[in-house]
This record gives sequence, structure tokens and C-alpha cells, in this order.
Amino acid sequence: MAFPPAASGKPAIDFGALRALVVDDYSGMRNALRLTLSNFGITKVQLAANAAEAIFQIRNKPYDFILCDFNLGEGRDGQQLLEELRHSNLISLDTVFMMVTAESFYEKVVATAELAPDDYMIKPFSAEVLCARLVSILLRKRAFADTYRHFRENQLEAAIGACDTLMRDQPRYAIDALRFKGEILNAMGRFEEAEALYKQVIAMRAVPWARLGLARALHLQQKDEAAEEELRDVLEHAPEMVAAYDLLADVCLAKKDPAAAQEALQQGVAVSARTVRRQQKLGEVAFDNGDLDTARTACTQAIEKGRHSVFITPADYGNLCRVQLQQGDLKAVANTLKFNKRMLEATPEGQLVMAVTQSVAYTREGKSADAAKTLDTVASLRAAGTHGDSHLMLDLASTCMANGRLDEADAVVAEVARNAHDSDALLAKARKIYADAGRDDAGSSVLASATADVRKLNNEGVVFAQKGDFRTAADRLLTACEAAPFNPRISMNAVWVILKHIDQAGMDEQMIAAARRQLGEAERQAPGHPRLAGLRLHLREIESRFGIHRKHA
Amino acid sequence: MSSDNNDFYAALIHELKNNLGLLSMTLDAIPASGDTARDAAVDAARMQCQGVVERLQQALLVYKANQGRLSPTIDAYSPHDLVDELARRAERLAHGRIRVVTEVTTDVPPIGFFDRDLVEMALINAVHNSLVYARSGIRIEAAMQDGCLAFSVRDDSEGFPAHILASLADGTPYRARGTGLGLQFARLIAEAHENRGRRGALRLANDGGAVFSFIVP
Repeated sequence: MAFPPAASGKPAIDFGALRALVVDDYSGMRNALRLTLSNFGITKVQLAANAAEAIFQIRNKPYDFILCDFNLGEGRDGQQLLEELRHSNLISLDTVFMMVTAESFYEKVVATAELAPDDYMIKPFSAEVLCARLVSILLRKRAFADTYRHFRENQLEAAIGACDTLMRDQPRYAIDALRFKGEILNAMGRFEEAEALYKQVIAMRAVPWARLGLARALHLQQKDEAAEEELRDVLEHAPEMVAAYDLLADVCLAKKDPAAAQEALQQGVAVSARTVRRQQKLGEVAFDNGDLDTARTACTQAIEKGRHSVFITPADYGNLCRVQLQQGDLKAVANTLKFNKRMLEATPEGQLVMAVTQSVAYTREGKSADAAKTLDTVASLRAAGTHGDSHLMLDLASTCMANGRLDEADAVVAEVARNAHDSDALLAKARKIYADAGRDDAGSSVLASATADVRKLNNEGVVFAQKGDFRTAADRLLTACEAAPFNPRISMNAVWVILKHIDQAGMDEQMIAAARRQLGEAERQAPGHPRLAGLRLHLREIESRFGIHRKHA
Repeated sequence: MSSDNNDFYAALIHELKNNLGLLSMTLDAIPASGDTARDAAVDAARMQCQGVVERLQQALLVYKANQGRLSPTIDAYSPHDLVDELARRAERLAHGRIRVVTEVTTDVPPIGFFDRDLVEMALINAVHNSLVYARSGIRIEAAMQDGCLAFSVRDDSEGFPAHILASLADGTPYRARGTGLGLQFARLIAEAHENRGRRGALRLANDGGAVFSFIVP
């Protein structure tokens, strides 16, 4: 038997230069892993016992390789750490993140997750396998270096080109390249091409991530029937595929079937209760469905699992209090505010949540003097430019009304309506507040005039744009942006016409600055909106055409 | 079983896996001393540790299969990488006593679709058996057979005993110990793989030694 030895003929990896971080809550395992890594020649190894320590170390200096146990005891788990690192851009695509897990179940959970590690190891594992897989990932990252560079610089067209090159020249990475290309196509809004790509992969083999990608591409083209059919079939065969429940909930909401959306989210939570965003969404959907018990559990879980993470904002405390108020459980509201007082008092947004919630509670209790005092606090916070989410603002409006502060109520509703002039759900909720107060006519006129101004400016802008007069269109839409500073639709329209104007008339420094600002606002208000990626791409393309080099996050 | 008991077992299994992981890493980290008797004892401990790991994995697999949860997670993997990984592990376990060679035929595609961890579990068990019985060498191969990917482990031992070949051929269950038990699991894993109506299979043969072939549809 004369064959060459195994593992030969591969390009060498310089382990000595690799900066590694081992994250494990058990010190015995941390030390054993460090010893194992040092036996391969990885000598620059730091240790962290939990997610907070890991984040601290990663903020301090970059790592090339993070080996993280899924189970980190109390606090965040390994998957939550990974999500936070990617969400906050603390690690790049070049960093290798490997998850260690005692459960082969984990691989099914992450097989289709948006934020998957580069690979995972099932305990107990041998040092050789860890080493072999690390080498394999490092070589893959090396092969993808051009793709990642283009992606980082937001040159998505070039990133797709690099994927195509990989598929042609290095067939062993063809599937990885297809997967990455599919994600880019969906992000760019090229849904039909993404659909075709995923169908091409499925023709080879119906791997779960491809089926999920296909469902996403279908959903983004409003082909929700087909998307639902695909997802239901995926879940019938693989009920543990949690990412499919999240997408299914979006599809059901698009089909205006909130009960089915809630059911999908509850099934996802039953499989994996730790994902903060799934719990947040379940809380919202269940509240709208009037299922207050489910909403309360979900809001509580979201806060519990997400404490100290970037995914929790003051709005989450406001959401929990809203459910508790709706249940008439004023004691629970008081406790929620009391236990989280320090956190809420730290920011104006938190103070606003606290003051609005207190004003609602005092009003319920008939303590009008206390209610008036908290409403004064709210008024001064708002005068200083503090802004809350639409649901909080509508709570405020109805409390103002109950306390006879009609002008304030109308002003708040008008603000919500301007910022959400095309959201039927929010406008209906606002209308109901007026109906409950017996002020239907006043409500109609407030809503009509608030939305009319914005709608008029928006429509004028669109008409000028259609005529090719992008300059006037941009002026109209920027005026609309001033009236409705948190309206993502208006912001995106403004960005679109400004970019068209620059395409047509050449660089305009002030205009492009406004476009950047509005794009940022739209991203804050409607993260993940399908139009955003295309606009970002267009902006980036103009910037590079006119030689503006900006640092990218 | 009450949920308290379930939690208790889950916690126990979790600890057991941690302990075993630590034990195997600790054994792996013991450098060769050059003292033949001492090194042989460490090698034997490594092999035994590998055996315990395999039994634990098999126990969990039976548990899953009983619950109807033995569904492979299929994704795209490199058959070349899998053969390399197995060879590294085999070399580590063999420690120079047994030669380990590999062969991937040129018709094997750069990417195959299978559950990497399950297939690796079945194959490392076969490697382990071959290392115990081989006289001087084992060979880990990947090749195409009737349009399916076939991973094989060959050795130069006496070959499989007749009763094992017979029972695997007619599929009858038998009270298996040691080698036989691992083979039953390999068959379970192979048959859990399915693609467009074709099912995976385990084939055993004697051809200048034992030949263990794991067919992925």
C-alpha cells in the first residue's frame, strides 16, 4: 500500500501568527483547549469565561480565530455572543468563529441561521479534527479574500463577480460561493436572480439553507403563497429549523394572517427560546392579537435573555409595561419600572418610556395630579427632541386626551401620522383612540391634515421625479423629510431622487450629505427594508464615481 | 420519564461529554517519551478513550433513533477533507505502529452531500476496528460506485468473521458486542441517508483483509 501520507499538498497556514480567543465557562476546558491549540503551534491564545469578557477582549484587539463553547453558563450563550459580535461589527468576515457544542441538535438550529458560525465542533472531539477543520476554514477564507474585500467595501457587483470566478476556478468552493452570492442578490433586491440561484442549488440537493433562501426570495417578491408552501414543507421535514419559523411569521404577516404568524413564532420559541428578536416579535404580534399572556411572557423573556445586549432598548421595557397595563396589572408595571429604573434613567429615550408609562398608570388610577406632573416631564423631554416609537407615542396621545390635554394629544398623533403616513395599522390605532374619546371628527381632521401634507409633498416629489426633474423632486422630498423626520418611506424616496439628480446633473455636496443622512434615518426606522440595499449600493457607486472615499463601518 | 428526570439526564450527559472531551484532550497532549513501554501504555489509553467516546455517541444515537429524531443534517462537504480528517485521527491513534494511507479516486467530486458528523462517526469506528485488527496497515478511500459516493476502510487483517458478514447480509439483528455493535450503528447511519429514493448502505467484504464500505446516495 504505497500512497502519499494524508494531509499533504495543502498550502501552509502560519499558526504562529494566528491570534486566538477561547471562550468557555469551565476553566479546565479553557486550559485544555489552550494546550491543544499550542500543540498545533497556535501560541497567541487568550481566554474568556463568558460573553461579556469575550466582548471586552475583542473590543480591545482583533482576533483571527474565536473558539467558543455554546453553553456559557449564566448570561448569554455562544450563539447570542456570535449574533452580537456580527451585529456590532466587532468581527469581520475574515475572522474564524467556531462553536463548540455538546448537542448535535445545535447544527440543525444554525444550519439555516442568518448568523451561523464558520463551523462547529460536537463534543467530545479530537484535536486532529479541530485542527483539520480550522485549516479548512482558513483556506476557504483565503479563497474568498477578494469576495470579502469587495463586500466590505460595499462593491456588491464586484463581490458577485468574485463569487462567479470562484465557482469557475475552484469547484470545491462552488456551493459556498453560491450561498454567499444568493445572500448578496437578496440584499441588493435582485430577488428573481436569487430565486433562480436557489433553485439551481436545490436541483443539486435540497439543502435546507437553499430552501430557506428560496422562500426569502419569494417573500421579497410578494409571492407569499409559494413562500409559505416552501416553508411549511421545510418545517414538516425539519421542525427544528428555527430560522424558518421567523421567515414564516413574516410571510403570514404579509398575508395579513397575524394568528398564523403568532403560531409560527411560538413554535420557533418552543425550539429555541433564547433568541431575543424572536421573543420581541412574538410579544408584538401576540399583543396585537389580544393574547396578553403570551405577549407578557415573550416581552419578559426578551428582556431577560437580552439584558446587557445591544438588542434591548428602552422600547422593550415600554412594550412589557403596555402589556401589563392592558392586563390591568398596575403593580407589575410599577415593579418593571422600579427594577429597571437605573437603566431607563440613563437615556432620554428611557426617561420618555418611564414618564409615558407612569402617566398611563396614574391616569388609570385616577391620580390626575401625578399624571399631570409626568405629562409635563414628557412634554419637556419631547421639546428637547426626544423621540419614542409609534406605539409609545400613541399611548401618550390617548393619555393626554384622557387628561384633557387635547392639543398635545393632537400634536402627538399628527407626529405619528406624519412619520407613518402609509401604515394602515398605526393609523387605525390612532383613529380608535379618537373614537374611544368620542372625538371621531377631530381625529379624522388631525389624521387627514397630518398625512395630507406629507402625502402631498411626497407625491409631488414623485411626480417631478417621473418627469425627470430630480432637482425639484429632491427639494419637495427634503421638505417632506423635515415634516416627517422619522418616516422611512419618505426618507428612502428622498435618497432615491437625490441620487438620480446627481446622476443627471453631477456632484452636489450638500445633496449627497442629505442623502447619507436620510439613508441613515431610514436604516434606523426600517432596518432590513428591501429597498435599502439598492439605495446604499447606488450611493456607494456615486461616491466612488466622484472619488469620495469614506470609511465603512 | 418526568421532566425533572429528563433535565437530570441531560445535565449528566452534558457533564459526561465535557469530562470525556477533557480526558481525550489531556491524553492527546502527552508527548512521546521514547520509552517504548510507557508510550505503548499511553497509546492504549488513547485507543480506550476513543472506544468510550464511540460508545457514548452510539448510546445517544440509539436514544435519538428511538425518539424518531435520527434525521441527518445534509449539507455540502468535501469528501477529500473527510478522508484527510479520518487519516489524521487514524495516524494519531496508530502512533506509527500501523501505516495509514489514503486514496481519493479522480472521479470523486470536490463536493458531496451528506451529514458530515454522522458519517465521520461511522467511519472512525471502522478505522478504530481496523487499527485493532490490522497487521501492518490500513487504507482510507473515497471512490464513486454506481453514481454514489463510497467511503471505505481497508486493512490487512484476517477479515471479518463469517457470522458478521452473514448477519449484515441478511439484515437480521443479533446480539452484537465490540465490532458488531459499531457496524450496526454504521448501518443505521447509512440507511438514514436518502436522496431521491436511493438509500445509503453499508457493505462489508473480505479482500486481502476487512473492507468496510459506507455508501452515500
